[in-house]
Amino acid sequence: MAAVTHQAQAIELGGSRAVEAASDHDLLAAIRDGDEVAFQEIVRRYRNPITNFVYRMLDDYDRSVELAQETFIRVYTSASRYQANYSFSTYIYRIATNLAISELRRRKRRKTVSLFSPFTNDDGEPVEIDPPDLNVLQDEALIATERRRAVARAITSLPQKYRAAIVLRDVEGLSYDEIAQTLKLSEGTVKSRINRARNLLKEKLTAYI
Amino acid sequence: MNGCKHIKERIDEADRPEVLPFEVAEHIGHCNDCEAFALERAALRELVAGHTRVSPPISFDAMLNARLAEVKARRSSWWLGSPGYLRLGAATAGLVVMIFAAQSAGLFSGTDSSNPAPDHLSTAAPLPPIRVAPEHPNPGPDIRDGSSVGTTRPQYLGSSNAPRPRRSAGLAGRATVAYMTAEDGGVVLVRGQKGDMDVQMPTVSVGAQPLLYVSAGQRSVRNAGGTSF
Repeated sequence: MAAVTHQAQAIELGGSRAVEAASDHDLLAAIRDGDEVAFQEIVRRYRNPITNFVYRMLDDYDRSVELAQETFIRVYTSASRYQANYSFSTYIYRIATNLAISELRRRKRRKTVSLFSPFTNDDGEPVEIDPPDLNVLQDEALIATERRRAVARAITSLPQKYRAAIVLRDVEGLSYDEIAQTLKLSEGTVKSRINRARNLLKEKLTAYI
Repeated sequence: MNGCKHIKERIDEADRPEVLPFEVAEHIGHCNDCEAFALERAALRELVAGHTRVSPPISFDAMLNARLAEVKARRSSWWLGSPGYLRLGAATAGLVVMIFAAQSAGLFSGTDSSNPAPDHLSTAAPLPPIRVAPEHPNPGPDIRDGSSVGTTRPQYLGSSNAPRPRRSAGLAGRATVAYMTAEDGGVVLVRGQKGDMDVQMPTVSVGAQPLLYVSAGQRSVRNAGGTSF
């Protein structure tokens, strides 16, 4: 019944206003039927958050743009397999998360050693050496730039399992339930990981808090 | 202390750090440790969330459309883009399936109606009676009158129950040849006026059903015994 409803609504997605007003599920149903306009609308809605999210995970702008595009391509090619059991944002964030984690693992296999993280912890994750800078910065712009870089480095240095959770929560603003669905974890595990990630971030960003 | 732990969990789980539940707000009013924790968490979350967001480049949509077109083209021309050995294997498998299907449908087992019998078989003058043994080695009855043929009905090669002499249209008037049993092994006993003789009837098995070429046997008979069909 739901499929019939979605199909009927997909047929009605004629004008641009109808497309803009359509829900994500309706747009996915229209994409299944080969509606390119519906796909463009999905891209318009999610290109900013997805690109930003992947960038926070990788700290590599060019690669983030590529993976964001790959996310949308996968949405398009697997639209027929999409099940509207949960929100589309959870679905697309899951795709983006998997791509980002695959990229991180691929980089890890390269055995690159960052100058900031030559050592690893018990989990095998790199531990960044980022001593807090206690000097007084005099220029506001320089302060802001330095703060941004420090936050980016701090997030990037987090273990992978904490990084996705903290970015989804504090950068993208997803709820615990949505994060749990996206990462396929229990809500308790998500809360634990976010708490642990914040504690790690606090240690790295002491100078800016 | 347990109360503080619970309160800190509530602070950490709050959707908005500046808007805390009443229970938490009341607690931090008289607990310096929890109040410091709440302020620290709020500052940290603000720092992380306030981190400048990046935006995709202006050419994002164009690049995406180009990549999507490439993916579509790759999916539509997967046959041409596949390795040669895969294509060869698929073609071979398809050919085998077609041959098997044709064989199952019986296309290779029927008589060739487009190849009629030679004219000399159908226009030949009346011949002396020829007796063909219905079962070997028992010569069987004389079939000149055709009355006793059905009494000892042999099993025909390649047939199940219905006895059907496999012969050409030119021999229809004689009803003398083509009774051949499985035990004969392709040998037909021909009894003519000048004596009997065994004639090796060549068979060709196509599609697991033997075909009997009467014309080949006819040449052998003529050469050996002078009997003309």
